[in-house]
Amino acid sequence: MGASDKPVTAVAQQPMVALLGNPNCGKTALFNRLTGARQKVANYAGVTIERKEGHFTSPGGHPFRLLDLPGAYSLSAHTPDEEITRDVVAGLRQGETAPDVVVCVVDATNLRLNLRLVLEIKRLGLPMVLALNMVDVARKRGLSIDAARLSQELGMTVVETVAVQGGGEKSLLAALDAMWPLQHVQSNPLSAIDAVPVEETQREVRRILALVSNDTHDKGNLSEKIDDVVLHPVLGPIILAVLMFLVFQAVFTWAQPPMDAIKNGVDGLGELIKANMADGLLRSLLVEGIMGGAGSVLVFLPQILILFFFILILEDCGYLPRAAFLLDRLMGGVGLSGRAFIPLLSSFACAVPGIMAARTIQNPRDRLVTIMIAPLMTCSARLPIYALIIAAFIPEREVGGFMSLQGLVLFALYVAGIVSAMAVAYFFKRTLGANTQQPLMLELPSYHWPHLRNLALGLWERCKIFLSRVGTIILTLMVLLWALSSFPGAPEGATHPAIYYSVAGMLGRGLEVIFAPIGFNWQISIALVPGLAAREVAVGALGTVYALSQTGEELASSLTPIIAHSWALPTALSLLAWYVFAPQCMSTLSVVRRETNSLRYPLLMAGYMFALAYVAAFLTYRISLYLVGA
Amino acid sequence: MTHAAPLLTLDHLVTGSRGTVVHVAPGNPADGSDLARRLMELGFVPGEKIRVLKRGMPGGEPLAIKVGNSTFALRRFEAALVSIQPE
Repeated sequence: MGASDKPVTAVAQQPMVALLGNPNCGKTALFNRLTGARQKVANYAGVTIERKEGHFTSPGGHPFRLLDLPGAYSLSAHTPDEEITRDVVAGLRQGETAPDVVVCVVDATNLRLNLRLVLEIKRLGLPMVLALNMVDVARKRGLSIDAARLSQELGMTVVETVAVQGGGEKSLLAALDAMWPLQHVQSNPLSAIDAVPVEETQREVRRILALVSNDTHDKGNLSEKIDDVVLHPVLGPIILAVLMFLVFQAVFTWAQPPMDAIKNGVDGLGELIKANMADGLLRSLLVEGIMGGAGSVLVFLPQILILFFFILILEDCGYLPRAAFLLDRLMGGVGLSGRAFIPLLSSFACAVPGIMAARTIQNPRDRLVTIMIAPLMTCSARLPIYALIIAAFIPEREVGGFMSLQGLVLFALYVAGIVSAMAVAYFFKRTLGANTQQPLMLELPSYHWPHLRNLALGLWERCKIFLSRVGTIILTLMVLLWALSSFPGAPEGATHPAIYYSVAGMLGRGLEVIFAPIGFNWQISIALVPGLAAREVAVGALGTVYALSQTGEELASSLTPIIAHSWALPTALSLLAWYVFAPQCMSTLSVVRRETNSLRYPLLMAGYMFALAYVAAFLTYRISLYLVGA
Repeated sequence: MTHAAPLLTLDHLVTGSRGTVVHVAPGNPADGSDLARRLMELGFVPGEKIRVLKRGMPGGEPLAIKVGNSTFALRRFEAALVSIQPE
């Protein structure tokens, strides 16, 4: 209890186990296997690298905390992720408990690469367990590893694990139980690692490998045969394009039934409340504010989940780095690294994780450009807007027998985002100067089947994030907007709907002066005000604005026919163009602020994106007015 | 020890060719990152066998290189740091 005088400390009630390993070693699958849903995802203090902690109780009844450290090739730390891993494991990171046990996870099929990191960590002198993961795959390939001999050579417990199989973690749990009671050991200084040159470490790896495995040399495998097709100069890009196109079509068609179900459910609930409550302020708040607002955002959860379903599968099976390989030349042409592909693809779901994923880009300038263009990728929060307008204005028609016209328009919006991102990247490359060559060094891991359990946990995580956003920021804003739209009430003998006289109406009418040249009416202008916080809010806001401007029966009916009647086509197209660019997401801007540690870049981002949005919407509006012949 | 083929840098190897890493030259130290050390940490250590699996289009960049049991994609200038004894 006294002040800490000695480094030799008793271990806390719940010892901390750290999982550490190369990227692609199956570490996160093992983490999921051990902790199940008992995990907490947050960020490391002061940075935005994901910190995954969970807990579990071993068969021996001992409670453990488990930390999933970012993947690393070496503790000499070339990326911010690796710096975190290095500092946490050496007990140097403020606010983090130094681990009591390090579980080094290695891919049993690739000890030649993985063992180097194990030997590095061993020099820190911490209690260690080696988890030979993916032993099932290794066996299937005819690779045998003498775990007992390996344990003897390394001087640490070696267990075999199969993270993607129920019970595949048993041996690791038994090994942890056997180490009980744990004693906390102070790590050796990091200089112990650099004391040995890499060549020497590799010689040691070769020596050990010769003793413990029948590691036959490089004779090609299934992954290479798949790559013959997937990385083929002609077939590869075609497969990539077809895959991306299929994803977008699926987002639009598969999501329809669950979306209808959610919409009917919310509508039914609204009707139920209306039937059972007296007309008044509270009923108005419940039906128009809460149901109309949050309900119409919730409806897009199926689309977001389907999109993440594909992203997670492509990531899990190993396709994403191949896509980066194929796109490297193209990305290099505008000054980006092929590595930027993964952050940018994640940005299709949400720019926030995308911008965070940009941390895997070593070069600061490359990273900055990737961050700056990430919000131009069409994130899933734009889908509600796009879907609403497309459903209202683009006829449901088949093109060429198998594509829908609506799907094609959506595809075009995605392409517009990508093309403008490339243009902006090229511009930044020119202005930020320093056109030095950037390293790629991207691992192309072996392909494997995506695992359902990990997929489900990943989707659940996204679902929680989206719902908590709906539940907190968005709902708060919807209620605020409802209040702004309801007070003050209409005067006696009013000729306009009540909202026209409210605070929101005044604001909207004020903004209309600015937005009239690009075809926005005051209803849209009002919706853009709360829509500054998050894009999807604008849909709920439109719902509220229009629900309140209607009188009587039409209140709860869907927004689509309303806007189809009250907007002209050029206005709708202009709003679509606006949303390709407009930086209407406080979360994105605040993440940029944190990632770049400066106010300059979020301001620059907001400035350039608003300017682009206005110009694009203006051109779209004027050109389509001309084409329509008005 | 008889007349071995002359050394080549990795970026000059054609798809499908094999060789052994002989030396890794330090990269451009101006940008602060120790490229040679990183390449070695990824497995491009003298004595290791490599094989060129794929070259991207257009311009033969990036290169997919098998080293040990892993495959890494490298840009041409990174590959140029690695000297190879071709087989």
